[in-house]
Amino acid sequence: MSISLGVTERSPGRLLYRGAEADVILGDWQGLEAVFKIRKPLTYRLQVLDDAIRRQRTVHEAEMMHLTKRAGVASPFLYDVDIQSSTLIMQFVKGDRVKDLVASLSGSQLDGTFFEFGQNVAKLHRFGIMHGDLTTANVVRSNERLVFIDFGLSLRTARIEDHAVDLRLIKETLLGAHPDVSARALDALNRGYASVVGPARTRVVMKQLQNIERRGRYARVA
Amino acid sequence: MRRYILGIESTAHTFSVSVMTSDGVILSNTKSVYKPPEGSGIHPFEASQNHLVAAPKVVADALDLSRIPMRGLCAVAYAMGPGLGPCLRVGAVVARTLASSLGVPLVPVNHAVGHIELGCLLTGSKDPVVLLVSGGHTMILAYSGKRWRVLGESLDLTLGQLLDQFGRYHGLASPCGMAIEEAASASSSYLRLPYSVKGNDVSFSGLLTASKLLMDRGGSFSDVSYSIQETAFAMVTEVTERALAFTGKKEVMIVGGVAANRRLSGMMSEMSRRHSAAVTMTPLEYSGDCGAQIAWTGWLAHTCGIQVPISESKVLQSWRLDRVDIPWRN
Repeated sequence: MSISLGVTERSPGRLLYRGAEADVILGDWQGLEAVFKIRKPLTYRLQVLDDAIRRQRTVHEAEMMHLTKRAGVASPFLYDVDIQSSTLIMQFVKGDRVKDLVASLSGSQLDGTFFEFGQNVAKLHRFGIMHGDLTTANVVRSNERLVFIDFGLSLRTARIEDHAVDLRLIKETLLGAHPDVSARALDALNRGYASVVGPARTRVVMKQLQNIERRGRYARVA
Repeated sequence: MRRYILGIESTAHTFSVSVMTSDGVILSNTKSVYKPPEGSGIHPFEASQNHLVAAPKVVADALDLSRIPMRGLCAVAYAMGPGLGPCLRVGAVVARTLASSLGVPLVPVNHAVGHIELGCLLTGSKDPVVLLVSGGHTMILAYSGKRWRVLGESLDLTLGQLLDQFGRYHGLASPCGMAIEEAASASSSYLRLPYSVKGNDVSFSGLLTASKLLMDRGGSFSDVSYSIQETAFAMVTEVTERALAFTGKKEVMIVGGVAANRRLSGMMSEMSRRHSAAVTMTPLEYSGDCGAQIAWTGWLAHTCGIQVPISESKVLQSWRLDRVDIPWRN
C-alpha cells in the first residue's frame, strides 16, 4: 500500500481546516476527490517522540474509523494511510455539517436529526467506542444519513464515565453554539440514545453525566 | 493614597512574608524554606515546626525591610489553602494574631490564584492562557465569567510531584527540579517513556513508574532525567496548545515552581510562535511560593471588600482554584 507515497507532498489541495494537531486538505487521490488529514511535525517535541506519537495516532484513528463501521455507524471510507507522513487519505463526504444545518431545520426535522444522532452515538457506545470529540461540527448529513468524522480522540472503552463524557461534550456544544434549540435537540438525542441501549442504561449514563457536571472538572470557557 | 498590605504564605515548604504597596510594589519578600532530608519529601509536621520557629524572624525582617511601621498596614492576607494542614495553620495563626492586634481586616487568599495574579502583575500579561505548574498544581487555565476556568489538568500527579518523586528515588531531597534539569542538560539520549494525553488532560503516574524501572535496570540518571523532561513537558505543551487554539487568546503565562525550568519555557515559546502568541514568565525569584503572591492577591481581594472574621478564619487543605470567585477582574 505505498501508492500514495509522495502524493501528500505533491497534492496541491485546498486547506479545509487547520487544527492544533493536523491540517485537513481537500485534494486528489487516484482521480478521486479526497481528504488528506496530515499530522504535521510539532517542532517543540523531540523528533523521535513526535514521529512516534504522530504515527501511533494516525494508525489508531484509521483503526477506529474501521471499527466505527462495524458498530453500524457511518464514517468516511479510508483510502490509504501514509505512515511516513502521518497522513490519512479518506473519502470527502459531501454534505453539511450538523452545526451549519441546525438553524435551517424545521421542528420535526430537528427532532429527526438529533434522534438519529443519539441512535448513532448509542451504537458507538454499545460497541465500546467513545468518539472523544462529539460536537455538531464532527457530524455531517450526507445523502440523508449522518456520517461521523474525526476520530482522532476516540477510545475503545466501555466505561460509563467515558460514555458520559461524550454526551457531556455534545450537550455543552448544543448549549453553547445552538442555545435556541438545545432543549429540543437534547430531548430528541436522549430518546434516540435510549432507543438503542434501553432506558435503564441511558439513566445510568445520564446520572454519571450529572456527576461529572457537579465535579466541574470539565468546565470550559464559554 | 498609597496603602500597604502584608501577606503570609505557608502552604508547603516555604514560610514567606511580604509587604506590598497598593500600586503593586514589592517592598519586602522574606522567607524560610524547610529542607527535607536527602531522599525524602516534605513531612508536613516537620515543615510546620520549621515555620513555627522561623515565623517571628521572617515577619520582623519583612517589616524592617519594607520600612513600613506595623501600624501602617491596612490589612493582613494569608494563604487559606490549598496546602498541607499543619503548615497552613502556622500561617493562619500568625495572620490572625497580626490582624487582631492591629485591628485590620484579615483577607483569605487562594494560593494558586496568588501565583496567577502575581504573575499578571509582574509580567504585565492581561488575558493569558495560564500554565500553572508546581508541586501542588498542574493546570491550564483561562479567565471567563468571574472565575479562572480549568481547560486541562493532570489527572494524577502534578509536574512538581513527578520530578520530586523521581529525584527522591535517586536519593535527592525535594525540590529536585533544578538537579533534574541540570542532569538532563548533560544528555541527548532519549529513552521511550509513556506519553499520556487524554483529551485535554494529562497523566504522569505511568511515566513515573516507567522512569523508576529504567533506573532499576541501570539507566543513567542523566538520560532518564532528559527523557522525563522531554516527555512530560511535551505533554503539557500539547494540551496548552489545544487550550490556546480553543480560546484564541494571544498570551501564554507560565507560573509556579516548575516555570523556572528552561526546557519547559523553551517548548512553550516554540509552540506559541505557531499561534503568534507571546509567552511570559514570572521572574525566577517570584515564580515559586512566596509572600508576595499572597500580599498582592490579598490587596486585590481587599479592594472588593473580601475579608474573614477571626472566628471563621479556618484553613482549607483542599480548595480548587475554579471554585474561587474573582470579583476584581473584568
